[in-house]
Amino acid sequence: MKKPNQSTMRTMLKVGKYVRWVLGIALGVFLLWRVVRVVTVEAAYTPDTWLRFGLSGLILGGMYALIAIGYTLVYGIMFMINFAHGEVMMIGAFCCFFVFELFRFLPAPTMTNPDLVFLNAHPFLSVLIAFLVGMFVSGCSGYLLEKIAYRPLRNAPRIILLITAIGASTFLQNAAMLLFGPQRKNIVNPAVLDRGAGWTIQFFGKPVLISYTGAFSLALSTILMIALYILVQKTKLGRSMRAVAQDKDSAALMGVDVNRVISQTFIISGILAGASGVMWGIHMGLVNHITGSLPGIKAFTAAVLGGVGNIPGAMLGGMTLGVIESIGPALLGIDFQLKDVIAFLTLIVVLIIRPSGILGERLSEEKL
Amino acid sequence: MKTIRFSKGFVTGIVFGIVLTFLFLIGFIETGSGLLSKLFGQPVPTNAMPKIFFVVLFFVLIGMWAGSSLVRKYREEPFKDLLPVILVGGLTFGAIMGIVAFIFGSIAKAGIDVRTYLVAVSPALIGLLMLKIADPTIAALSLLTLFTLATLLGAFLEYLWQRRFSDKAKELKGCVSKRLIRFVPQHLFEKPAVKYATFVIALALFILLPRVWGSYWNYVLGTVGIYILLGLGLNIITGWTGQLVIGYVAFFAVGTYTFALLTAPEPHGLMLNFWLALAIAVGTSALVGFLIGLPILNLRGDYLAIVTLGFAEIIRILLKSDLLTWFTGGPRGIRDVGGPTLFGMVLNDDVNFTYLIFIMVLLMIFFVARLQRSRTGRGWEAIREDQTVAKATGVNTFSSKLLALTLSAAAAGLAGALFASRNQFTGPEDHVLLVAINVMCLMIVGGIGNIPGIVLGALVLKGLPEILREISNFRMLAFGALLVVMMLMRPEGFLPAKRPKISKPEVPDSAQALKEDQGI
Repeated sequence: MKKPNQSTMRTMLKVGKYVRWVLGIALGVFLLWRVVRVVTVEAAYTPDTWLRFGLSGLILGGMYALIAIGYTLVYGIMFMINFAHGEVMMIGAFCCFFVFELFRFLPAPTMTNPDLVFLNAHPFLSVLIAFLVGMFVSGCSGYLLEKIAYRPLRNAPRIILLITAIGASTFLQNAAMLLFGPQRKNIVNPAVLDRGAGWTIQFFGKPVLISYTGAFSLALSTILMIALYILVQKTKLGRSMRAVAQDKDSAALMGVDVNRVISQTFIISGILAGASGVMWGIHMGLVNHITGSLPGIKAFTAAVLGGVGNIPGAMLGGMTLGVIESIGPALLGIDFQLKDVIAFLTLIVVLIIRPSGILGERLSEEKL
Repeated sequence: MKTIRFSKGFVTGIVFGIVLTFLFLIGFIETGSGLLSKLFGQPVPTNAMPKIFFVVLFFVLIGMWAGSSLVRKYREEPFKDLLPVILVGGLTFGAIMGIVAFIFGSIAKAGIDVRTYLVAVSPALIGLLMLKIADPTIAALSLLTLFTLATLLGAFLEYLWQRRFSDKAKELKGCVSKRLIRFVPQHLFEKPAVKYATFVIALALFILLPRVWGSYWNYVLGTVGIYILLGLGLNIITGWTGQLVIGYVAFFAVGTYTFALLTAPEPHGLMLNFWLALAIAVGTSALVGFLIGLPILNLRGDYLAIVTLGFAEIIRILLKSDLLTWFTGGPRGIRDVGGPTLFGMVLNDDVNFTYLIFIMVLLMIFFVARLQRSRTGRGWEAIREDQTVAKATGVNTFSSKLLALTLSAAAAGLAGALFASRNQFTGPEDHVLLVAINVMCLMIVGGIGNIPGIVLGALVLKGLPEILREISNFRMLAFGALLVVMMLMRPEGFLPAKRPKISKPEVPDSAQALKEDQGI
């Protein structure tokens, strides 16, 4: 048998590296050219439209960021992509739907208005209960997922864990479809949080609507992200999570209960995904069994974009991806039905040009 | 002696209760008892519910399963020690089902239709759960009794089996497998006459069967064949090289669309020859695989999975979008894709297609089987086991992985071209991520890395659903559950790949010895 030609292979490796550079530079030049052209020459959109795109991107980005944190936390500890994470978010959105439906038919008559229902009588209490229920149920599903599907495979090869995760994701999606039916369900918000209502501000002489639901989602996701950051950086639980992420065996020797920490990580990531699902329900207003799958994949994209395993990276990546997704089609001058293509292209390009993400350091080979 | 605790009874009862409630909510009770009814030779007519006897039988079987799972590991204890635990388990199970029946029965009695929220729960289904008893309280109590008795019965039978027959059964099984499965064929197959006879019979079957059994079975078998091709292709990169590719459907789509665009009259009117178009489709898929692998494969393992996933989604969205309608036909797809020709003969009917797919599958099996034993194949398996060690022993990991991805993409291109040609149509809906997940499922169920296993997996996962049409609604749910359960119980699949092993010297396990000393 002929020996493989070493020099050809070396050239191929080098070509791989060059492809990365050439692609990166070509893409940068192209993007710059498009941006300059769209903004100055074509002037297809007025400034207030750009602001509107940016705002909706930030709102979407907040939700992506919350889901992405879940991916990053789990990846940091177990080095696995939890494909069922998007479905946990879907469970949160369904909780929002059911709580609102329950309160919509729960009478809470007052003297002045005998037809008043609980949802409109106590809108903030309803929203609070929806969030609590959504976060609780999603946290439980995260815990059960880990306990049933992933824990028995703690020392298995990672490909088996990944396949299990895909299986769990398929199962949850189809279970939701068989239980609640394939059609989309409208979520009826409290009257105060109507999706069309909001503050109107003047921007370059044109009105721009900031909806209450959007502002609420963005504010809440920011608060949750700050809370999570404090949890990871300042508390004992956060410290043990970071220790387990760095080295499981050493952490165990230092007295950290690794199994417990992994369970808690799954609960926290489930809670965040649940909150994001409830926000999705309140802001977008539609839920069905595939609600979670696309945001799930995109949130993973966001986690990779920011540097997988890195919590501020996931937040930044989520926000960036949301903005890219909503501004991108306008900026490139293409159809808005291709916004998902832009999100996935961003993922591929980031993986090719800077595999470690925006904030991530290069992960060492041991984490392979 | 192991001690059995009450909590085990509770947990088993609760788990079975939740599972059966879930099965009720998705409407599987109807399907399950319908299947039982079919098994007894009384197929349920459409738009009718199965007879109540089969529902009871279904419940009793599940109750017996619960009971047998309770006592499976306790064969040493006397039965009366186990009895309380079994009773607790049965009562818990029955109580959960009784409560569920009571709740839904009361709701149905009040005239509320819950189908707005739970689509499967029709009043007739609630009637089945309540065993057609009108009063919710009586129905709940009878379910409680039914499940308790069924659990007791199941536990008793399992206990009896374990005590009396399980050793004998094992002996018998050992004898049978030794005598029949090992002894007979080995001696027979060494004789050349038998070998040739088997070969001739197989060949005759292969030539005759597609002509005899009609176009429906040809269609099913063709689908199975295409999935075997896909499974063998994915096996190269995922099964042997150990690199997970989730968006495998992307390469399939490239093959399908290349072939369809080259042979269809619309939208380009190229109408190329079948074989030329097939070669170009395979080549294009291989090229796409190569180009995707080039920048990605020397990065971390997961990235290939994610990039192919993203790529598959991009291709699906692009095919559906208005942007490429002029080039790919858009959401309507491409019609009148060309069929195979040989020396001027048009071989477009289902029998010839079955032959063609059979031949392609055989060629592919031959090709990958040779490949696995080659230096390249051994290099791939080394990469899967340990990339660093493989590198140190002289395997060029990057170019090996790149070759694996290219070949696997080429196989997907071949399957895609055959698929488009057989259906004479292709559209964006043929290329959803589900296809890739199905391929991965069949590979895993059959036995990852093993060629007969993949053939078996394709037969089971693509052939069985055609036979069991009743469960088609629940197929994807079962796939998901099956994937998880397979990974937990038997990650190597039904027909695991055989690997040469180095025998280890017998060393007494010190920890075990210590435990035995202390009498734990």
